[in-house]
Amino acid sequence: MTLFSLARKNIKGNFNNYIVYFISLVFSMVIYYTFVSLQYSEEIQKSILLSDTMKFMFLASSVILIIFVAVFILYSNSFFTRQRKREVGLYSMLGLRKKTIGKMLFYENLIMGIIALIIGIFLGTLLSKMFSMILINLMGSTIEIGFELSLKAIIQTVIVFMVIILFTSIQGYRLVYRFKLIELFNAEKKGEGIPKVSLLSTTIGLIVLAAGYWLILRPFPDTLTIEYIQFNYGLALVSLIIGSQLFFRSVTVYLLKLSQRNKSRYYSGTNLFETAQHLHRIKGNARTFTIIALSSAFTISLFGATYGGYYGNEKQAKEDAAFSYSHLSKGENFDTKIENIIKNDKDHQIKAQLDLPVIEAKGKLSFQLDYLTEPIKLIPQSSFNQVSNALDRKARVSLLGNEAAVIKPRATEFTEKDFKNQEVDLQSSNQNLVFTEMTEGSLLPFDYPDFFVIVSDEMFGKIAKQIKPLTYKLYEVGDEKNTRETALQIDKLIGDDFQASSSFYIEYKEGQEGNALNLFILGFLGLVFLAATGSILYFKQLTEANEVKPNYEMLSKIGVGKKQIRKSIGKQMLFVFGLPLTVGILHGSAILHFISNFMSNLIGANMFIPMIMAMAVFVVIYLGYYLLTVKTYNRIVNK
Amino acid sequence: MKTIVETNKVKKIYGTKENVYTALDEINLTVQEGEFVGIMGPSGAGKSTLLNLLATIDEPTSGDIEIDGTSITKMKEEQLSAFRRDKLGFIFQDYNLLDTLTVKENILLPLALAKMNVKELERKVDKVADKFGIRTILEKYPYQISGGQKQRTAAARAIVTKPSLILADEPTGALDSKSATDLLESLNDLSDQDKATILMVTHDAFAASYCQRVIFIKDGKLFTEIVKGKTSRKEFFNKVLDVLSTLGGGVSDVI
Repeated sequence: MTLFSLARKNIKGNFNNYIVYFISLVFSMVIYYTFVSLQYSEEIQKSILLSDTMKFMFLASSVILIIFVAVFILYSNSFFTRQRKREVGLYSMLGLRKKTIGKMLFYENLIMGIIALIIGIFLGTLLSKMFSMILINLMGSTIEIGFELSLKAIIQTVIVFMVIILFTSIQGYRLVYRFKLIELFNAEKKGEGIPKVSLLSTTIGLIVLAAGYWLILRPFPDTLTIEYIQFNYGLALVSLIIGSQLFFRSVTVYLLKLSQRNKSRYYSGTNLFETAQHLHRIKGNARTFTIIALSSAFTISLFGATYGGYYGNEKQAKEDAAFSYSHLSKGENFDTKIENIIKNDKDHQIKAQLDLPVIEAKGKLSFQLDYLTEPIKLIPQSSFNQVSNALDRKARVSLLGNEAAVIKPRATEFTEKDFKNQEVDLQSSNQNLVFTEMTEGSLLPFDYPDFFVIVSDEMFGKIAKQIKPLTYKLYEVGDEKNTRETALQIDKLIGDDFQASSSFYIEYKEGQEGNALNLFILGFLGLVFLAATGSILYFKQLTEANEVKPNYEMLSKIGVGKKQIRKSIGKQMLFVFGLPLTVGILHGSAILHFISNFMSNLIGANMFIPMIMAMAVFVVIYLGYYLLTVKTYNRIVNK
Repeated sequence: MKTIVETNKVKKIYGTKENVYTALDEINLTVQEGEFVGIMGPSGAGKSTLLNLLATIDEPTSGDIEIDGTSITKMKEEQLSAFRRDKLGFIFQDYNLLDTLTVKENILLPLALAKMNVKELERKVDKVADKFGIRTILEKYPYQISGGQKQRTAAARAIVTKPSLILADEPTGALDSKSATDLLESLNDLSDQDKATILMVTHDAFAASYCQRVIFIKDGKLFTEIVKGKTSRKEFFNKVLDVLSTLGGGVSDVI
């Protein structure tokens, strides 16, 4: 028998152990292949506006994916090898040289990697069309894409994964040398100590964790500086990491020990067996739990935030560009040209067409305002009301004499209190305005500074004598979400009148594509991550199951029924899967709360649904792993 | 006197059609309450099979087994678990203690499983701990104590529920002679004073000499049995050795 065939036999024999690892591996290969093939797909790139961004994002995310997958494979490998200590020991005893055993493990790993790669690429090509369609759909595009076989993507996937597989196989080979023969046989004999309760580290853990939460959840200060963000949230991140680690290491030990004090509960049924089991494992599990909790938290919050962005995109686009088209009047010829283009688009009838006069004035505020007010953009009351009417908005103002109303600058948190009864001195025209109210509803596409002040028509007329108003042309058309051709044509002519796009369509579409891209990438990265961490938990539990098998045999002999053992396993696994997930969800909610505050325009009910969705997906997938683990664990110890 | 164990033509056959192996062949065995019975025989004679059948973790191919007046051959899995919990106690060669539990917790595990109230439970644990002289190590973990202490812990666990029958599988197999003697004396006391019924499978003639009766099995059949009666332990030991030498096959096991 050659080493190669021995390796092949081993894989066949251990296939049950490997299957979950194998599936996770294939899955990550499929996702990698999809990312790369989308990066190279010309068909898709032609159909979207943000093609450069897309290319970059897929490149970046495939790099992240690769790093993650490499760590995952490495971890699983060292894990399998450790699991097979006894087998390796036996080969050694039979006189096989370490070099030969190492070679055998190397072959095993190599064969499995290559098989996974073949299946991964096969499934990848089959599924990449489906995945592309998901992306296209998310982006709101309607193009039909054909079945595409990207040779470039195949080659890249093969090369990248072959490097990883080779590298990890060599690691597996080297691992054998780290074992001492005696250790291989006495693997489970060393008595694991019960962790001691450290009141100090329990207290520190709780304090650090509370501090982390406080840092994340506290409201923004009046002036939000980069330094503040870096310091405050950097510190929050560090305390969350340290706090979680201490939580799993010490706080859980403390709680478990505490639960032992309630004798009538502890000394009832299988409770003492389970509690003791947890106490013994917690040290070894703490790091895995921490990693899983933290990365779940980040995945949930990022995915939730991106989904929120995707969800709130239309509202956001409407706020950034209220009208279908807006542009600065640049002489009659230019204006007519634009008007004709819009009029010629028969599919999108003009619903409203308005002129908005704006005076850009210099003014001195009688109060401190943390916003650039240079220039102050003045608009007459009648225009504001007209525009409001055209957009079906409720806001109306009526002002007398030198009364003025502020339109709330976008992306700020000002309230009416900040302005009411304050004054502004328009130096250039010797007028003094008094703010009587703040209203919402921006008229023009976003352009910093976004400081619009509504004045009475009479006042506007007076100021207009000194400063010539600019005129903006505004058009609102039907079905403005699908004005691709016209919008692109006009966009070229108008150029950079505003920082935001001059047409709603482009603002909307770019937002949608960007968000869809984030959602797609984060979604799949999240899934790969979930699959990998889920399978790590799965392996860990199965190794444990093999180690503690005699315990369950003993329990069965002293009269614990099969059903009761099954129930006990279910309870234990619930602890193992539930604890990191619960902590992850709590962390995730806190981080998401911060993100939604940060993106102030997305607050409100919009964030709630995506958040719940992200968590629900997480919980459902973990539940799948949980059930699978309970089933396999039970099969091992409870035959 | 009450009959605790009664087997009627118990047969155990392993394997399928072509490759049949009869491990036990029509074994009839009766054990009375308070008896301390040893089972001996060469390797492969069927001792462990018999013990597994009595332990209800294996089923006979034919025949009937009654323990404490209940036939166990027709019971369902869940019933059997409950039966094991309430009526049987086990002592194994490799102790089978849970490393994650303290000595005390190991002993009280069967009581906890039976959901006994805490006061009663702790009282019982203290009582058996005294009996086996392991009171001082109650809070220790199995990896912190010696083999003899482990086996006494296992024995304490086996009797804490006051089972109708205690089954011991080579309990002295891994012990040095001092620890073995201590354990055997404890078992002897149990049957003398507490009327505990003990069935012990052993290879060791010395261990067997502590029994009141020793049954020999060969090739799945009862070979003979000897009763200690009024003879001294030393004489009984020699009798056991005599039988073993006629039994053959197992000589090397004896020494």
